[in-house]
Amino acid sequence: MTDWKAIARARGLAIPEADVEKIAPRLDALEAAFRPLAVKLTPDQEPAVVFHADPESE
Amino acid sequence: MTIGEAVRALRDGRISSTELTREALAQIERLNPKLNAFITITGESALEAARLADAELAAGTDRGSLHGIPIAHKDLFFTRGVRTTCGSKIYEHFVPDHDAAVVEKLMVAGAVSLGKLNMHELAFGITSTNPHFGAVRNPWNPGHIPGGSSGGSGAAVAAGMVFAATGSDTGGSIRIPAALCGVVGLKPTYGRVSRFGALPLAFSLDHMGPLTRSVRDAGLMLNAIAGHDPRDPASVSRPVPDFVPEPHCDIRGLRIGVPDAFFFDRLDPEVEAAVRRALAEAERLGAIVKTVRLPDVAAINAAGMVVQFAEVAAVIEPHFTNRDQFGKDVLALVDQGRFLTAADYINAQRLRRQAQLDFREVWREVDCLITPTTAIAAPRIGETMVKVANREEEIRSATTRLVRSFNALGLPALSLPCGRTVAGLPIGLQIIGRPFGEPLILRVGAALEDSGVTIPTCTLD
Repeated sequence: MTDWKAIARARGLAIPEADVEKIAPRLDALEAAFRPLAVKLTPDQEPAVVFHADPESE
Repeated sequence: MTIGEAVRALRDGRISSTELTREALAQIERLNPKLNAFITITGESALEAARLADAELAAGTDRGSLHGIPIAHKDLFFTRGVRTTCGSKIYEHFVPDHDAAVVEKLMVAGAVSLGKLNMHELAFGITSTNPHFGAVRNPWNPGHIPGGSSGGSGAAVAAGMVFAATGSDTGGSIRIPAALCGVVGLKPTYGRVSRFGALPLAFSLDHMGPLTRSVRDAGLMLNAIAGHDPRDPASVSRPVPDFVPEPHCDIRGLRIGVPDAFFFDRLDPEVEAAVRRALAEAERLGAIVKTVRLPDVAAINAAGMVVQFAEVAAVIEPHFTNRDQFGKDVLALVDQGRFLTAADYINAQRLRRQAQLDFREVWREVDCLITPTTAIAAPRIGETMVKVANREEEIRSATTRLVRSFNALGLPALSLPCGRTVAGLPIGLQIIGRPFGEPLILRVGAALEDSGVTIPTCTLD
């Protein structure tokens, strides 16, 4: 299991430990759903958000 | 009465905008204490606008189908000189010095604004049980939630306080209250309607759109608010067609896709039965209803959630220091976003782009999709868990899991009422189209509505 309290402390998130405990199951669920998808991405897969040098041409 | 019916009565001189506005204000005075749909009521300026609308019509100036029609705005749209709270303590005293693009366009179209509508705090939630401005209640049963985040918009339209309301939809926030309140809700294609002047929740997922009493009324509202706006970097320069379906519109030969997985897997049986009846009606009207395989919707939902949480965290960051100003549920969601990394966000956006490309295949097979809007009808206020198909589920998940992916994909989606539960609560179905395919989904919606796929008007006393 991921130690969300330790992550919160390390990143200086200033979230009370009791609050981290409450959201931990949701964080675990999102991690379980998202992480396996992210590791399958290949370098050619671009993000949906791209930068335009000329904002007028977007 | 729909906007279409009011337009005819106004032009025939059978009623004036002032009379319509007075009736709407009387309805608000009678029902708002029960439903708490409005945060701010602007009765005086509404009557002034209505008198001007009448004078213009009498002088031969006709601004079109919304001229003199009473509406209201979700309280996240900037309204010049009128407090805009976003249902939040953060913006409790915020009075904008300009109007949102949507507000501006509806004003130019002659609509009469009656005020600002209650909503889920910061538009981040689906109950509209607002800790700062009070819970919005469902007109079909005030013990139940109206859905959210545009809960005040759904309740006000369902209760006949206004003909139409504006809403925003980041993960279902127009379609969920539309389904739970038994009204029509349209989330247009991303880029179709300007986001300028709407307080953001998640920049790349926020969509602005209407909630109305009929499908054609949604088309009328979209006619007024669609179009390119250089002030919104996501706004798209595309021709704006007439979105209002013609009378007796035809859907013969249209290919309607029914997803083979995910959307019908875990539903309240009454919801499933109502949506299947509507599909049978579409088939009777000559549409070709076929099963279709979609890309992995659960994966799109996961990517969409990461994008949403990360963008929300960025928007809310300046306010993190004062945790007391947030409701508990919103704070929990905001905190989740703070655990995500930059790489998570970018990877979610990469997954989103792939899903968008994969979805192109779907549009080769079908012209639109039909699914339930939510897995359940409106739960009771205060409930957080619900049993769906013998499995305990968070209400947030049961109401968002069928709608969220279409925010990530930016596709247009229309929710319309298709039945009621034995307990009398509305059930909604969702019609999804290809990018900028609003005319087609509105046509399908109107054809179904014309053939009786609808519910009676809510009569709350």
